[in-house]
Amino acid sequence: MQAPRNPAAPVRHVDLTLLLSTLGIAFIGVLMVYSSTRQKQENAGLDPAFFLKRQAVFLVLGLLALALIGLVDYRRIRDFAPLLYGGAVLALLLVISPLGTSRRGTQAWFQLGGFQFQPSEVSKVVLILALAAICAGARGSLDTTALMAALGLAFVPMALIYIQPDLGTNMVFAAVVIAVLLVAGARPRHIAVLSLLGITAIALIVELGMLQDYQRDRLTAFLDPQADSQRSSYNLRQSQIAIAAGGVAGRGLFQGTQTNLSFVPEQHTDFIFTAVGEELGFIGGLSLLGLFGVVVWRIWRAAVLARDQFGRLVCVGVLAMLVFQIFENVGMTMGITPITGIPLPFMSYGGSAMIASFAGIGLVLNVHMRRFT
Amino acid sequence: MTQDTSRLRLGVLGMVVLSLFCALLARLWYLQVLASPTLKVEAQHNSVAVVYTEAPRGRILDRNGKVLADNRVVLALVADREEVAKFPESLDRLSAHLGIPRVVLDERIADERFSRFKPVPVAVDVPKDKLIYVREHFGDFPGIEGLQLTERVYPNGTLAAHVLGTVGEINDEELGPRKPAGYKAGDTIGKSGIELTYEEDLRGEPEIAKLEVDSIGRVQRSLGSRPAVQGNDVRLSIDIDIQRAAEESLEQGIQLARKSTDFLTGKPFIAPGGSAVVTDPRDGSVLAMASNPTFNPNEFTNGISVRRFAELNDPAGHYPLNNRAIQGLYAPGSTFKLATSMAALKSGLITARDTYNDQGAYTVTGERSSTFTNARGARNGMVDVSKALTVSSDVFYYWLGERFWDNRGRLGTAAIQDVARSLGMGVYTDIDLPFESNGRVSDPAGREKLHKDYPEAFPYPEWYTGDNLNIAVGQGDTAITPLQLANSYAAFVNGGALFAPRVGQAVLDRQGQELRRVDAKVLRRNDLPASILEPLFAGFRGVVSDPTGTGFGAFAGFPLAAFPVAGKTGTAEVGGKQDTSLFTAYAPANAPRYVVAVVLEEAGLGASAAAPVARRVLEAIAVKEGISTAPPAAVNRVDGRD
Repeated sequence: MQAPRNPAAPVRHVDLTLLLSTLGIAFIGVLMVYSSTRQKQENAGLDPAFFLKRQAVFLVLGLLALALIGLVDYRRIRDFAPLLYGGAVLALLLVISPLGTSRRGTQAWFQLGGFQFQPSEVSKVVLILALAAICAGARGSLDTTALMAALGLAFVPMALIYIQPDLGTNMVFAAVVIAVLLVAGARPRHIAVLSLLGITAIALIVELGMLQDYQRDRLTAFLDPQADSQRSSYNLRQSQIAIAAGGVAGRGLFQGTQTNLSFVPEQHTDFIFTAVGEELGFIGGLSLLGLFGVVVWRIWRAAVLARDQFGRLVCVGVLAMLVFQIFENVGMTMGITPITGIPLPFMSYGGSAMIASFAGIGLVLNVHMRRFT
Repeated sequence: MTQDTSRLRLGVLGMVVLSLFCALLARLWYLQVLASPTLKVEAQHNSVAVVYTEAPRGRILDRNGKVLADNRVVLALVADREEVAKFPESLDRLSAHLGIPRVVLDERIADERFSRFKPVPVAVDVPKDKLIYVREHFGDFPGIEGLQLTERVYPNGTLAAHVLGTVGEINDEELGPRKPAGYKAGDTIGKSGIELTYEEDLRGEPEIAKLEVDSIGRVQRSLGSRPAVQGNDVRLSIDIDIQRAAEESLEQGIQLARKSTDFLTGKPFIAPGGSAVVTDPRDGSVLAMASNPTFNPNEFTNGISVRRFAELNDPAGHYPLNNRAIQGLYAPGSTFKLATSMAALKSGLITARDTYNDQGAYTVTGERSSTFTNARGARNGMVDVSKALTVSSDVFYYWLGERFWDNRGRLGTAAIQDVARSLGMGVYTDIDLPFESNGRVSDPAGREKLHKDYPEAFPYPEWYTGDNLNIAVGQGDTAITPLQLANSYAAFVNGGALFAPRVGQAVLDRQGQELRRVDAKVLRRNDLPASILEPLFAGFRGVVSDPTGTGFGAFAGFPLAAFPVAGKTGTAEVGGKQDTSLFTAYAPANAPRYVVAVVLEEAGLGASAAAPVARRVLEAIAVKEGISTAPPAAVNRVDGRD
């Protein structure tokens, strides 16, 4: 016997366009991770498909996270926001304690068997929930108190991440905060002041030597690639050469010399877009950005259609998180934004980021499909 | 807050997002469509490495195709830099196995001359059993491989060393101008002799392998290669048999001189070295060029040790690396009378029949009056130019010298010297060998210039009658090379053509086909009428065949009837040294095909030391010609007057 048809049933309003575009991007990502690692692995006498397999596992984990989040009504999740926030702050505290492990001067990981878990990635999604909850609770235009509360909420994890230090993730946090506050109804004056403060903070951090030298070099190399012949501008140069070498049609999958011969450092993680650029060309790059465009458009649409302010702000937060990461990451490979260690959502090799990104999409789907209930 | 402002704010957010995406697309368009062609080239450069492997050099052959310089295969052990870095114990074992200190191996591996894309030869010329051991125990020597390399070898050792020259590693000075021709640091290059002059022909084309490499230089795969092409062979005009005879005879003559006593001082001759040259007067080709002392060019092939090189340059060893045939400068002594006689006949100062009564001494009158005598005070009586040559009458030439000077208003101040230069004396012969000296024929203008440039070595700027007497008999500041001496006689016996001597004859491809002939080159043609040639021919013939001739004793028993020889002795006085012994000869005297010049430093009279050496060389030639069957006997020292 068939269940009675309910036109408002969430399952009938799943945004398949969003889901499939995201899956498409993730699939390209798995392929490009394989392309950019197989040769190097083979040279080292290791399994060429090692990274391919792991990234596939991460994709499955991401989809599980998405499904899990999709099953629970987002308004129920809102009730857990304080708990999740507390858990995230605790995790960020623990990761800078001796329990965490560090890599290249940043202490941001928990070592779990053969995998590393990066709490700052997941805390981005948690912060979105918490911010949305507090701003939606303010009702109407955000007064100074609510604003300060929201800022205070963001400040704690950002301070902990600053200690790691992970400038890139904090920049994502800042983008999320500004976007959510904007849509939540913060006064234009406040937004302006906040943006100014953010810019001043970054300038101060760079100027006052609060960064390691290599961090400053990476940040400023894009302004003047000739100024520094060291590692940073080498990255930048090789990355742009790789993308340009692709031309219009690309060199074909697995055919890029820059990619196969490891001329681009960190290619399977932060510089994954260069593999797309070289091997799939302008057509491939355009298609990928097109898919990202569709994803962003569907999230924006979900925000517009959202049933309540909380759902809308969640969508806006996810939107800001993804857009900032896409722009910053793709932009840095092409030399128009500073080099920071921000992964390209759904593409870069890594489990925590994959789970966080899919969790964000899960939230958006959640808000979207429950807009009639 | 109303729904409308919320929508407005979402709209603003949307616009921001849209503009960010537009920025990305614009940049992507720029990089991949507009700037792509130029940056693509850079990607190409990134990933392609070119590795050069030198080709074996071409061989050097004698005129009959006998091999003078060849290549030999040597066994070498090479190390893969990456592998031995991973397994350093491999080098420890190799060091123990070969008995080469570990630091030496490390130095070679660190040597930047070796391409980073190919294994480094850590040990060259490894005994076969040691190589086989490494191959059989390859598990103990990870990263070490055995292979065959080719290297230059001179199968006849020291034979023709000065002609062939040496090879060695290219240095910075040589590399600079040759970079466009594809030379790389570490390449082998000809350093001297034919190896240097014919470097372009001998070198060949290196193997060029294009490799795809990754960002840290590891080879991924080959992108194709152009195989090495061995260099072309160079065939010389040298005849290995005549060359050997010249070297042996020269050595014997020198050894003999050292056992003989100097008539003037009563001490044995020092005889530090000498030279013997045989050329073909018909085209200037060189059949033999010997220089003594000599060296073994094989010592240079893998880089000569500093100690050994210093030894070879020690003055006590009399500079074996110098090619005395083209670098040694000697006063020609009486051999110069060719030029004086020619000048006298040409200028009309004398005719063939004019005579002078040689009473053993000649006195120059005037303010700087002095007396010049014949060697050993010999009196020759009435002599014409032919007889004067035969008996080597210095007095006859002193007389000519003074008359030239007296007639300088009409004949010029350097009439003799001009003729000497027209025979190639004192000027570069333009032979196809490097580092030739030009020497000089002394004359009033040159004397003045020398004084101006080196006032201490040449304190007198003036030219006196006595100087003209000296030049007439080949004494004074005149200094020429043995090759110039041979070439001047060649330019006389062939009727007046002064050739640039040639050692190279042809360049041959791998199949032995001639790619290029080294053509005879005439530097100038002198007009020599019979009125000049005949009396001189007669005079030089008498030197060897007339009992009064200065070379008669040295050629006693020589088959002159079947193989007539003519020649001239020379004994040059050198300030502070024993006499230089010289002899020039040509044969057959009626239609010369060989000119021989022999010079022995500090060895006494030309008739005693140099003439017997020339005789033995001519005996070997006679055997080669089928005229004589008796193998040349050892060089004998004979008594003489000049």
